[in-house]
Amino acid sequence: MSKEVVLDCLGEACPIPLVKSEKAIEKMAVGDVLVVQVDHSCAMKNVPEWARKQGYEVEVEEVDDGEWEIIIEKTK
Amino acid sequence: MTEGVERKSSRASAGGAKRKKKNQLPIAVVIFVVIAGIGVWLGFRGENLLLYWLLGLAFGFVLQRSRFCFTASMRDPYLTKSTSITRAVLIAFALTSIGFTAIKYGYFANGLAIPGQSFVATISIATAVGAIMFGIGMVIAGGCASGTLMRVGEGFWMQVISLFFFIVGSLWGAHDFGWWKRTFMLKGFEVFLPDYLGWLGGLGANLLIIAVIYVIAHKWEKKHSNELSH
Amino acid sequence: MKAFFEKIKENEFYKLWFKDALPYVTGAVLLSVFQIVTFATTGNPWGVSGVFAEWGAWIFELFGGSVDKWYYFSSPGAQATLNAGILNHAPTWRNLGIIAGALFAAMMASGFKIKKIKSYKQVVAAVLGGLLMGYGARIAFGCNIGALYSGIASLSLSGWVFAAFMFVGAIIGSKLLVKYFM
Repeated sequence: MSKEVVLDCLGEACPIPLVKSEKAIEKMAVGDVLVVQVDHSCAMKNVPEWARKQGYEVEVEEVDDGEWEIIIEKTK
Repeated sequence: MTEGVERKSSRASAGGAKRKKKNQLPIAVVIFVVIAGIGVWLGFRGENLLLYWLLGLAFGFVLQRSRFCFTASMRDPYLTKSTSITRAVLIAFALTSIGFTAIKYGYFANGLAIPGQSFVATISIATAVGAIMFGIGMVIAGGCASGTLMRVGEGFWMQVISLFFFIVGSLWGAHDFGWWKRTFMLKGFEVFLPDYLGWLGGLGANLLIIAVIYVIAHKWEKKHSNELSH
Repeated sequence: MKAFFEKIKENEFYKLWFKDALPYVTGAVLLSVFQIVTFATTGNPWGVSGVFAEWGAWIFELFGGSVDKWYYFSSPGAQATLNAGILNHAPTWRNLGIIAGALFAAMMASGFKIKKIKSYKQVVAAVLGGLLMGYGARIAFGCNIGALYSGIASLSLSGWVFAAFMFVGAIIGSKLLVKYFM
């Protein structure tokens, strides 16, 4: 059974969202989903970029003005 | 991925109900009018003020639109092994040095004083100490000078604090500047590459350093992404 | 009116120019264009942090202090700049322009949000980081823009020396950040 982990990075500046995401996904099992909540426009770019480079499935959703959820599925 | 999509849609519907996105475009229009108004006012005060205002707007707009970050270019190769911003910064260095050299050479070839030579700064222990301090500061504050200004514009309160203390630190540095000047800078030296290598050689050397770092950056990132992906 | 703005949001050119983040390389090209424009029109490359020392001096004077005896502000040029006042200081307007330009860009993308301070750690990081950057920039003749970008583009070795030592600083900063500020 896969699970979903929500990581609250609202109000955090670079590189904290990315470093926290790295740490969080390390502890997760293949198939789990990590949802990173950010409101820093730079993190909205560098977190998906990092995750795609790792070969994970990534989707970015704009949930509010200046707020995004980066949905990362640990595919391997 | 099907599973991920399912989760996403279920979450989105839950989240969408309580939050309604506002369209900020009307506010953008108001801001544009204010910016233009300040521009007109500055234009009457002096053409120069208007020019600088426009340049600042252009820099701020480009930095925000491209999420350009000089801090990340120095930090990410170490911290996250990503060098995409580093390589973009190197491209900026290369393009700008070609343009700058052309302007400088134009003055030189016409027998005029070369402009902007105050940016050929003295190299001394103060450069090393100051650069290390700056490097530490920008990483923990999450932005350098231009990045801090850009993030103030994006609404970061934390960066308002770091901007204030950037100003305090600058004043402190200016206060101690005489000591650094006497102790280290007077023993320092300046190197304008064309003085040693000629105009073409100087530009060529600069571009070569940029190219070498670009290759290293690219290989560095590749090496680490390979390590992670198997 | 509201429908009009909603319609703009769907426009492909709006998305390209105002909504979706530009690639880093596009940013590099555009910054280079404006750097060259800056040099050609003002006679000097772009700088940011020198202005902060002058802002500091004006604030200090506001509280009754005086920087006239300081070596840094002792030149006739520096004194004239300070005496002319902040509103007539062109580089001040460039720095304010960066804030306004970023604000406009964020609003145009409908992506502006006030980000409140999250923890006391952020305050400590901002205070320390700001002080270190301010002091460092003064003794190293500038920041990432004036000393690094403009230095290297001016074919000055100082830009490369600054880059090398700042990289060392960034590594130290990263270690501190992960250990104490996360």
